[in-house]
Amino acid sequence: MKATLEIINQMQTDGIIGKYAIGGAVGATFYLEPAATLDVDIFVTLPEASRSKLLSLAPIYDYLKARGFKVEKEHIVIGDWPVQFLPPGNDLEREALAEAVETEVEGVKTWVMTAEHLLAIALSTARPKDHARILQFLEQKVVNADRLNDILMRHGLVLKWSRFQDRYLDKDTDE
Amino acid sequence: MSNSSRTDKQDRRKQLASLSFSEKVKILEKLRDRSKKIAASRSKAARALDKPQ
Repeated sequence: MKATLEIINQMQTDGIIGKYAIGGAVGATFYLEPAATLDVDIFVTLPEASRSKLLSLAPIYDYLKARGFKVEKEHIVIGDWPVQFLPPGNDLEREALAEAVETEVEGVKTWVMTAEHLLAIALSTARPKDHARILQFLEQKVVNADRLNDILMRHGLVLKWSRFQDRYLDKDTDE
Repeated sequence: MSNSSRTDKQDRRKQLASLSFSEKVKILEKLRDRSKKIAASRSKAARALDKPQ
């Protein structure tokens, strides 16, 4: 992962990407126990010039392919990790990217989405594995309830949250 | 599952969650490599079964 993040940081220095943040299962691992995953989701903002081209990821792919990295379906393999670059698709993901927290992996600086944003995105995506991850976040008590409620309210996820609670949580659970 | 083994499992999960991100990423890499090996051996077995005798 160190090599992967060094390349991504270099892309940032070279102006290919703007701010980025690790999301998905690897992002969740920042807060939870590790769970098997085959790839890394990297949410990225694209610099102004790239954004004008209808959010094309072509500059990222061109940069990496020119340096010998291989494309495998929707991933590009950097170091020994298949990486999926994802421009934020809605306001929730844009906010999650903007408010990501700085951390380090083996001395390399990187950013990870907050636990509350990861939970809200999982709720919004709503696949079975997302629901399982939400339960892990709650079980490990790594989510700030006020902050989560604020995010859910602002991004129209209150009803979905209520349905999730009815389905999976005991009536007396606070979150 | 007995109560004591459930508690042991929860303690282990908490212990894993409290590791540094770097340590957790190393575990992720081991899990990923193991998943890839399992997938490769399953695919090899499936190909062997498909081969005409």
